[in-house]
Amino acid sequence: MSRLSTLWVWAVFAFMYLPIAMIALFSVNDSKIMSLPFSGFTLKWYAEVMGDGRLGGGFLTTLSVAFPVAICATLLGGLAALAISFYPMRGRGIFAVLLLAPFLIPKLILAVAQLIMFNETGVERSLLTVIAAQTVIVLPFSTLVIASVLIRIDRGLLEAAADLGASGLSAFRRVVLPLMANGLMASWVVAFVLSSAEYVLTAFVSGRAQPLSVLVASDFRFALSPSLNALAVMIVFGNIALVALAELIRRRASKTGA
Amino acid sequence: MSLRVGTLLAAPVTAFLLALCVAPLLILFAYSFFRVDFVAISYDPSFANYAKIAGSATYRGLILKAFGSGALVVAITAVIGYPVAWFLAKRAGAMKSALLTLLLVPLYSGDLVRVFAWRVLLGAEGVINRSLIWAGVTDAPIQGLLFSPLATHIALTYNYLPFMVIGLWLAFESLDDAWLEAAADLGARSPSRFARVTLPLTFPGLVAGGLMVFVMVVGDYLTPQLLGGASGITVISAINDLFGTAFDWPLGSAIAWTMLAILMAFFAMGAMLIRRSSLVGGS
Repeated sequence: MSRLSTLWVWAVFAFMYLPIAMIALFSVNDSKIMSLPFSGFTLKWYAEVMGDGRLGGGFLTTLSVAFPVAICATLLGGLAALAISFYPMRGRGIFAVLLLAPFLIPKLILAVAQLIMFNETGVERSLLTVIAAQTVIVLPFSTLVIASVLIRIDRGLLEAAADLGASGLSAFRRVVLPLMANGLMASWVVAFVLSSAEYVLTAFVSGRAQPLSVLVASDFRFALSPSLNALAVMIVFGNIALVALAELIRRRASKTGA
Repeated sequence: MSLRVGTLLAAPVTAFLLALCVAPLLILFAYSFFRVDFVAISYDPSFANYAKIAGSATYRGLILKAFGSGALVVAITAVIGYPVAWFLAKRAGAMKSALLTLLLVPLYSGDLVRVFAWRVLLGAEGVINRSLIWAGVTDAPIQGLLFSPLATHIALTYNYLPFMVIGLWLAFESLDDAWLEAAADLGARSPSRFARVTLPLTFPGLVAGGLMVFVMVVGDYLTPQLLGGASGITVISAINDLFGTAFDWPLGSAIAWTMLAILMAFFAMGAMLIRRSSLVGGS
């Protein structure tokens, strides 16, 4: 029973990593054809991606969206997490549903709804609309990351601060804020990653300046090539490195917070 | 502390979500009653769009197909995920948090990259076909691998399995092993312990995970579109087409709201099921 279940878990994890492993393997294979047998090791597909000015421009556009999205989502997520998990509030249930809504509503439906609204109100589609739209769908995740740090903070610390004469605001600034700082940093990184990987919503509300995800989507609709493998691998490992960093920060928070 | 602080903190977030999530959906709802007059929107409310959806076998079929796909993937992920969740909660020990992180990491690679990877694997010029030909198993590529419902459902399962596992894992974490020991002491065999103790007590997790997987499968646009070929036409891609080339925003809005209404009904039912079964589990 136990051996069987261990085998099952291994198989499932192998399934989860199979696609990523495959593109990684063929991104360094010295052949245009993606098939066994291997033709030898090469980095030329990576060189091809790095030398592509159009993709480079898309990457810069992605960065100029992901930075503000990460900041906005973390600020709003911080407020939301405090309201939902730390300070008592009226209408908590409804607020929680409102927060979860962008995660549960099909992205394409949210995208067309925002498209209509921007159209009706005469808002020109630009990077600003992309930033606003992405912040909406990243918000549930950033709130969750910050709340997961906040719920571990001992409420006794707040009472102790109050007993020592600290006002609500100074107790927040000197007790809560330092303890939630790691949560904020982790949320920033997670929001950055989610923003840079987002496609459906971005494609709908972006104007002339197109982020990397939109460029890549139009590329691989038509043809597969090893250089797209290389690009995908760079995106995946960049994201994994960032998420690992966020997880590390969050773990550190749980150690100092407990 | 008064209720004011929390409410004050929530205010900017509420305003932001009202402006960029609720308001757009309400405008979408209003649009669903309008109609297209040649190339302009005619703001003349009627139920014509909803009548058109109800009367069209195509749209009814697409909606049913979406829910069929959702139910199928929920079933597959539940069967695959159940042992994994149990293992993570009860057997993983020190490896638990590392395994949980490993399970979630592929999610961060983004929808596009994941779909791309499956194309590389399953395509006629892809890894599996090319390798089978090289190994002499077949002469010609197996065409049915990519651009088929099979490819779509493999990738959908891959995409949303972690959400099912997380839902179930949370349920297993709160499952007290004492219940199982008590059942064993009372002479219940392993299958009966599973059916009468484990399954009912982890049912809320199954519902929560199932709901998440269901809405995400129903709402997935990219996966069927890029892996399904001719079978990739879904109700979601139909909405996309009505907002693009077909230019019928009002009809697209009506389909979108039909889907939202049905999904909300599912959620209400799911919430009720979870509440009821956790009452049973608690007593």
